[in-house]
Amino acid sequence: MSNNKSDIINANVARKSLAVSVNFTSAIIPAISILVLMLLWIIIASSTEFPSPKDVWDRIVFLSQRPIRGLNIFGHTWVSLKRIFAALIIDWTFGIAFGILIGWNKTCKALFTPLFNAFRAVPPLAWIPLITLWFGTGEMSKILVVIIGSLAPVVINTQAGISSVEQLYLDVGTIFNANERQKLLQVAIPSALDAIFAGIRTSTSAAWMVVLAAEMLGPSSGVGSLIVRGMSSIDMPLILASMIAIGLVGALLAIVTQFAERLVCPWIRKKESF
Amino acid sequence: MSDLFYYSPKRRDTGKMEHVSELKPLNSEYITLLQNRRRKTKYQNIMLSIIGFLGFLIIWQLIVMFKVVDTKYLTSPIEVANLFLVKLTDSRPEGATLLAHISSSLTIVLSGFGLAVLIGVPLGLFMGWYKRFDSFIRPLFEVIRPIPPVAWIPLMIVWLGIGLRAKALIVFLAAFVPCVINSHTGIRQTSEVLINVAKTCGASNFTIFRKVGIPSSMTMVLAGIKVAIGNAWATLVAAEMLAASSGLGYMILMGRQFGRVDLVILGIVVIGAIGTVLASLLNVIENNVLRWRKV
Repeated sequence: MSNNKSDIINANVARKSLAVSVNFTSAIIPAISILVLMLLWIIIASSTEFPSPKDVWDRIVFLSQRPIRGLNIFGHTWVSLKRIFAALIIDWTFGIAFGILIGWNKTCKALFTPLFNAFRAVPPLAWIPLITLWFGTGEMSKILVVIIGSLAPVVINTQAGISSVEQLYLDVGTIFNANERQKLLQVAIPSALDAIFAGIRTSTSAAWMVVLAAEMLGPSSGVGSLIVRGMSSIDMPLILASMIAIGLVGALLAIVTQFAERLVCPWIRKKESF
Repeated sequence: MSDLFYYSPKRRDTGKMEHVSELKPLNSEYITLLQNRRRKTKYQNIMLSIIGFLGFLIIWQLIVMFKVVDTKYLTSPIEVANLFLVKLTDSRPEGATLLAHISSSLTIVLSGFGLAVLIGVPLGLFMGWYKRFDSFIRPLFEVIRPIPPVAWIPLMIVWLGIGLRAKALIVFLAAFVPCVINSHTGIRQTSEVLINVAKTCGASNFTIFRKVGIPSSMTMVLAGIKVAIGNAWATLVAAEMLAASSGLGYMILMGRQFGRVDLVILGIVVIGAIGTVLASLLNVIENNVLRWRKV
């Protein structure tokens, strides 16, 4: 009996030490790794010409005192964000509509898929020269580049979601005497919603990348142009400041879309992943 | 990048006819009928695909022929095909033949991509298997991940110039992320049952990692590698557009500067074609490596 009790106590101790070690791996080691990164940055900055965190901060402050093209770093970021929102709204409307069309209708699928695949094979950035040749380097051509660059994931995911609806659900619809339109609107689209949202998330991050590239070519406003300006005047703190802004906004966009996904389709339980 | 997390199961081929076949018990006559109908739909689909593609080319050709759009802005597909043949041997106007551009682009993309696979896949596998290693590397990785590879270009150019190394490193960054993420996710999905069997047989942790974890993660790893080659190829164009003296991205950018729309379109077509070839090569490799998957 006492033996048994000590076993239980031992188990409890073991569990506690396990909890401590889990805490160690999940909280302390990440902190150490970030600290190491920061230390490395500071050490490298002090021994080479690489700008230190303080230099980067000073550059951001300086940029708001003497703005480039009348905008500080937040202004430039906001300009880029406005571009991708404009493009994404168009993308989602047309992408989802087109995806549903080729996912639902077999004839349309056979007709359009090869053509769509051919267009998709071209990297979005390769369209930039053609589009600037056609429409100049104005606002519209930038948005158009972003639209082209982030359309494909929406279409593909929507199409995959619509065409892989459980046949069982559709059969239930048939039994309840649903017509094709009802089956599409009330069975297929709701069950494909998670796939559509995966497309939306991918397209958002793709759009963020493409807008940078679009801004990098041709003088304009936006974080992309800021970073190129840093490059052409070998202004390292400016490059780093824009990279940090880009990274933060990229991470923020990912979090926001994930949150929106959880709001719209709460039944998706994500497995633990990256 | 993250569309690889969404795996659509292959569309089940449950056309209407199969339901009918369930009602009627199997008889050979019916099976041949079914097969014929299936063959017919397949034939129809192929015809439709060809019609869609040819229709696009014909409309394009007609637009140019009837001068709906100024030829300054659009050249006909036939002229682009002609230019392709000319560019094989002619290095005008931007200073290299098409093959030279292609080989220079491929060198960069394959070295960056190869490096990304060599480093990224083992890193992802180790991160997925060893918790402490994971929690050390993960924050560093999360710092790098949200920055698009394009944003690294200026930094790399300032550091390393516009040579092979800088561009290969940019391509590396683009291909690295999907390699790591997919290997990590893949090895995490190793079946607990298999691990327990190995444990029961007395295998050490590393042996289980090597003999159970890695093989079972291969599907995801290869999916990641496929995404990586796409990313690498797409980023290469950006790298070459910003700074290069040869390569396909350079070619279209020069075409744009000289106002040669045919050169730009040719470049786009060649880039798309090579991207497709690379992707299908990887598909062949995948089918070879994962031969066990198909039963």
